[in-house]
Amino acid sequence: MENNVLRARVDELAARVNGQVEEALGELVLTVNSPYVVETLAAAKNFQGVPCDFLHDLAGLDLGDRFEVVYQLTSLRGPQRLRVKARVARDNPVIDSVVKLWAGADWLEREAYDMFGIVFKGHPNLKRIYMWDDFEGYPLRKDFVPPTYEERATMRVRKEGE
Amino acid sequence: MDVAKEKELREAEALAEKGIILANVDKLLNWARGHSFWPVTQGLACCAIEMMAAGNPRFDISRFGWEVFRASPRQADLMIVAGTVTRKIAPIIRRVYDQMPEPKWVVAMGSCANAGGPFADSYSVLPGVDKIIPVDVYIPGCPPRPESLFFGLMQLQQKVANPAKVRLMKHGK
Repeated sequence: MENNVLRARVDELAARVNGQVEEALGELVLTVNSPYVVETLAAAKNFQGVPCDFLHDLAGLDLGDRFEVVYQLTSLRGPQRLRVKARVARDNPVIDSVVKLWAGADWLEREAYDMFGIVFKGHPNLKRIYMWDDFEGYPLRKDFVPPTYEERATMRVRKEGE
Repeated sequence: MDVAKEKELREAEALAEKGIILANVDKLLNWARGHSFWPVTQGLACCAIEMMAAGNPRFDISRFGWEVFRASPRQADLMIVAGTVTRKIAPIIRRVYDQMPEPKWVVAMGSCANAGGPFADSYSVLPGVDKIIPVDVYIPGCPPRPESLFFGLMQLQQKVANPAKVRLMKHGK
């Protein structure tokens, strides 16, 4: 990658938050454990000279033995791009919310919660966004068993005030 | 519809083919209904784009007299279900259908509304809108072109204009 300044900043940050840096298809990937995620992203947002201050996307990921939350960072003030991955334990999928850093993370975190059941601590309104409220299970988990045809072919009962 | 009435209608149809039209209010009404559907806009996915294209001047749905798309089900007599019916929206579709005044018809447009399409096995998609409301005409395609929509609506027009024939084909009596 040509952008040595960004690389230096990311390396420095990785040493601080105990993360690993790798490069995938020309893009820097910083993997950290979930407790460090807010610290990492706040630092990335304020990188000296190369701020990665635009949350492009946020997605959940099920790797079988663990979950990951992937933050794609870019900037409107330069070409820098950074991908931050946060490992989340599968048996206790809790991670800090980044809504305080980017208000736009609100619905993205709700999506990750809806599809994977990852709980974002500190989120102002953590409820399902795509599926209806009384839907059971988290459909994009690898161990999710889809409902049977008979169940899907019946009309669900709509709750009052839904 | 009782049998005598049906016989009468069938005779009238036979006469109409010879160019004789008897004064028959039912027949006139059915002819009028078939030539002026007021569809309720039920655009759920990409099929809605084709439905919109059908309304535009290039295809021009108003040639057939079906261009009065209503935003309220209370003013509509036809529901064109254009797109994927998810299980989340299904109760609302049923509700809109219930709010339409009689007589009313339903057209399932596209593979998704017919049987779930490519999402038939999905956790979130209803495998066909006929699971919740009665469908008169199924239009295949993904999405169907506006010509297909017109053909489907013309089939429905035939159905509406010839109730005796429909009954005969469906029940054989």
